[in-house]
Amino acid sequence: MKSLIETVFRLVVWLFVAPLLPGIVNRVKSWIAGRKGPPLLQLYFDLARLWKKGVVLSTFASPGFVAGPAVAWVAMVCAALLVPLGPAGSTINFNGDVILLVYLLAAARFCTVWAALETGSSFEGMGSAREVSYAVLTEAALITAVLSLSVQTGSVALNGMLSQSSGPGAALLAAGLFSVLLAENCRVPFDDPNTHLELTMIHEAMVLDHSGPPLAVILHGASVKLLLFSVLLSEAVLPLGGMSPLAAAGALAGAVAVVTIGVGLVESLLARFAFRRVPLLLTTAFLLCLFALLLAWKGGTQ
Amino acid sequence: MAQVWLALTLGGTVAAFAAALVALLASADWEWRSSFPVGGEPLHLRLDGLSAMFLALLSLVGGLGAIYAQEYWPEKIHGKSASRGRIWWIAMILSMGLVLLSSNGMHFLIAWELFAVSGYFLVTLDGSRKGVREAGWVYLAASHFGTLCLFAFFATLAGRTGSWELGPMREQANLAPLFWLALMGFSVKAGLFPVHVWLPSAHACAPSHVSALFSGVAIKMGVYGLIRFSGWLPVPPIAGWVLVGIGSVSALFGIAFAFAQDDLKRLLAYCSVENVGIITIGIGGALLAVGHGQAKWGALLMAGALLHVWNHGLFKTLLFFGAGSVLHSTGTKEMSRLGGLWRGMPWTAALFTLAAVAICGLPPLNGFVSEWLLYLGLFGSATVRDSCSWASMPAVVVLAVAGALSLATFVKAGSVVFLGAPRTKAAEDPHESGMLMCGPMVALAGCCLLIGSAPVLLWPILARAVCSWNPDWAAIEAPVSLSTLSITAAAVAALFVAAIILLWRKVNANGVRRALTWDCGYSTPTPRMQYTGGSFSAIIVRSLAWLFLPERDQHRPHGAFPVGASRIERVPEIVLERVVKPSSRLVIRLAAKARQLQHGRLQFYIMYLVGGLTILAILVFVEETK
Repeated sequence: MKSLIETVFRLVVWLFVAPLLPGIVNRVKSWIAGRKGPPLLQLYFDLARLWKKGVVLSTFASPGFVAGPAVAWVAMVCAALLVPLGPAGSTINFNGDVILLVYLLAAARFCTVWAALETGSSFEGMGSAREVSYAVLTEAALITAVLSLSVQTGSVALNGMLSQSSGPGAALLAAGLFSVLLAENCRVPFDDPNTHLELTMIHEAMVLDHSGPPLAVILHGASVKLLLFSVLLSEAVLPLGGMSPLAAAGALAGAVAVVTIGVGLVESLLARFAFRRVPLLLTTAFLLCLFALLLAWKGGTQ
Repeated sequence: MAQVWLALTLGGTVAAFAAALVALLASADWEWRSSFPVGGEPLHLRLDGLSAMFLALLSLVGGLGAIYAQEYWPEKIHGKSASRGRIWWIAMILSMGLVLLSSNGMHFLIAWELFAVSGYFLVTLDGSRKGVREAGWVYLAASHFGTLCLFAFFATLAGRTGSWELGPMREQANLAPLFWLALMGFSVKAGLFPVHVWLPSAHACAPSHVSALFSGVAIKMGVYGLIRFSGWLPVPPIAGWVLVGIGSVSALFGIAFAFAQDDLKRLLAYCSVENVGIITIGIGGALLAVGHGQAKWGALLMAGALLHVWNHGLFKTLLFFGAGSVLHSTGTKEMSRLGGLWRGMPWTAALFTLAAVAICGLPPLNGFVSEWLLYLGLFGSATVRDSCSWASMPAVVVLAVAGALSLATFVKAGSVVFLGAPRTKAAEDPHESGMLMCGPMVALAGCCLLIGSAPVLLWPILARAVCSWNPDWAAIEAPVSLSTLSITAAAVAALFVAAIILLWRKVNANGVRRALTWDCGYSTPTPRMQYTGGSFSAIIVRSLAWLFLPERDQHRPHGAFPVGASRIERVPEIVLERVVKPSSRLVIRLAAKARQLQHGRLQFYIMYLVGGLTILAILVFVEETK
C-alpha cells in the first residue's frame, strides 16, 4: 500500500512538473529578446483547453492515429518512472532497467512516427523520415553515454549508475548528453519548435494533423520527455548519492532548472542548423560520449 | 488429397513439438541407437536441450506454414506446383529435423544435402518466372559452396577422431582449427554478411510460406550448426572475437540494406541478415566468456542468442505471412505501389504492425526480451573490464544503432504498405485473407505477446539449452531482474491497452469530425503527393551511397510541355553484383580458355599423353635417385 501511494505521488510530480519546463524555456527566450512573452504556465492552459476540444480526423487515418499518441505517452511516463528522483530512488529498480528506459523511448518514437504517417501527408512524411534517420545517431550517443556510466560505476541499474559521480569524463558526458537532449526534444539547433515553416521542422511537422485530446497528450508527453532528459543529465553529472537527502533534492531541482535555462539560452543565441549539418553535430555528441566512455574505462571504480 | 497431407503434416509437427517440449522440460537427453546402417554408418539420433529448441521452432513454423499454404498456394490457382510444393515441404521439414537429430557426421551431411535440395525445389515452385529460376540457381550454388566446406569439415573431423560419431569432444585440442571450416559452411546457410548473397533474392522470389520457413527456420540451421559445433568441439581462442565481428557487420549492413529496399519481401530478407548477426554477436560473446571463465554474463549472452532464435523465428514468420497476405490480395509486393491497405485488410495490418513492433525489439513484446538479455550480458562483460570488453562495448553500440535502423525500416514498411492512401489501382480494393491464412498469424502473434510479457517462464528452457551447449554452466540461476522485468512488461502492456481505450473514449466523447488530411491547407491532396518508401529512406541512403552504390534510371522533364519524367532508384545486392558475379565471370572466361585444349585433333591428344608420361617418368626417376 505504501509503495502504491508513493508511486502515485511520484507520478503526480512527473505529470505536473513537466509542463513547467517549456514555460521556463519560453520565459528565458522572451527575457533575452526583450519581449513580454507568454506566461510561465502557458502550457498548462493549452493542455486544459485542448483536452476539452473536439477532434478532426483525417479520412485516411486508422484507429492507430489515436492509439499512437496514447501508447507513446504511456511509454514516456513509464520511462520517467524508471528514473530515480535523487534521494527518493526510483519506483522499480532492477538490473538492466536502463535498457528498458532506452527502449521505451524508442517505443514512444515508433508510435509518434506511426501516427504521423497515418495521414498520408508528405509534410508528416518528411518529419517522420528526419526523426527516424537522426535517431540512429542519437541512439548511438545515448547508449554510449549509458555504457560509460555503467563502466564508471560498475552497475547496470539506473539507481546505481546515477547516484555516483560520473568521474573524470563528467564534462564530456554532460556536453554529449546535452546535445542528445536537444536533439531528442527537437530543440534548436536541431529543430525549431517555434517555426511555422513546415518544411524545416521535425517534431512539429509530425503532429500537424493532430488535434484535441490526442494533441494534448502529445504535447504533454514531449514535456515529460524534456524533464526526463534534464533529470538524467543532472543525475549523470552530479554525485547525488554522496549528499544528504535535502541537499540532493535541492541540487537536483537546481540542476534541472539550470539545464532548462541552458536550453532557453541556446535557443535564443543560436540559429537552427542546416539539416545537412545535423548529422555532424550528432556525431560530435557521439564522440563526446565515446571519450567519456574511454575515460571511464581507464579510471572508474573497480 | 490436400486435406490428408495437411492432417499428416500437422500430426507430425505436433508430435515433434511435443517431443521437443518434453526434451526441454526433462533433464535427460533422449538418445536412440540402431544397428541398422545407413550409408555404412549405424543410425544414432540424439535430442538434447539445444536441438530441442530448434526442433520446437521447426515444428511450429512447419505446421503453421502448412495450414497457411492451403489458402495461399492452392491447387486451383497454381495447379501442379501446389502438389509439388506439398511434397517438398514435407521433405524439407523432415530433412531439417534429421539435421537436428543426427549425431553422426555422415548422416548430418546426408540430411543437410537433402534439406538444401528440397529448399531449392521449394524456392523455384513458381519456376515459370525467370527471376525465380535465377534466385533458385544462386541459392543452389551458394548452398553447395557451404556443403563443400561441411564435407571438408566432417571428413577431417572423422579422419582425426577415427569415427563419424559426433558428440562432446572439447578436450581434443587438435580439433580447434576445424572451427573455421564449420564457420564457412554454416555461415553461408545462416546468411551472414558477406556470404548472404543467395538470401535476398531467394526469400523475395519464393512463395511466402516458403520464405517464412526459410527465414524463420532454415537459416537457423546454420545458426544451429555454429552453436552445436562450437559447443561440442574446442574452438580457437580468437573465434569469439571473429564471431562478434562478423555478427556486428551482418547486423549493421543487413538492416541498412533492408531500409533501402522497395520490395517488401526483400526488405524482410535483409532484415534476417541483421537478426542472424545479432544472434551471432551473442554466440561470439558467449565463446569469449567461456575463454575467460565468465559464466555469469556468458550464460546471459547464450540465453539471449537462443531466445532470439525463437523470437526471430516467430515474428519473421508472421511478417512473411503478412507480406504473403498483401501479395495474395493485391498481386504486388512493391511497396511504392501499395498504401492504405488497413481498410481492406485490418487483420493483416494489425498483425503485421504487432510483428513490426516486436522485431524492432520494443517492449513489451518478445524481441525486447532477447535483446535485453544480450544487452545485459554485454554490459556485464563491459563492467568486468577485462580484454573482452573491447568486443562487448562496440557490440553494445552496434546493437543500439541496428535497433534504431530497424525501427526506421519497419515504420517504413508498415506505414507505406498499410497507411495513407492507395498509391495505385492494385491497392485500391484489397480483400482480407481467410481463416486459414489469418489463423496461423494470430497464433504467432499470441506467441510473441506471451514471450514478451512473461519471459521468466521461459528461463528453465533457456537454462537447459545453455547447459547442453556448455555443461559447465549447469548451475546458472535465472537473473533476479528477469522476474521484475516480466512484471514490468506485463504492466506496461496493460497500461498501453488502458491508455488506448481511455483516449479513444475521450476523443469520441468530445466529438469527431472526419475531414481531408489538413497538410497545411491543401484542398485536394492526391495519393501521388504522399511520401514514398524511397523518399522516407532517402536521408540514410544518400549518406550511405558509398556502400549502397544505388542505380538510378532518371528521365528529367524537358521542354515547355514536358511529358513522362521519371526517376527510379534501386539499391542492388552489392556483394552479389559487384563481387560474386564479376569473379564468376572470370572463372568462366578461364574455363573457356582451358577448353581450347580440347579440340578433337588426335595427334595433339597423343602429344598430351606422351608429355604426361614423360613428366611422370621424370618424377619417378627423381624419387628413385634420392
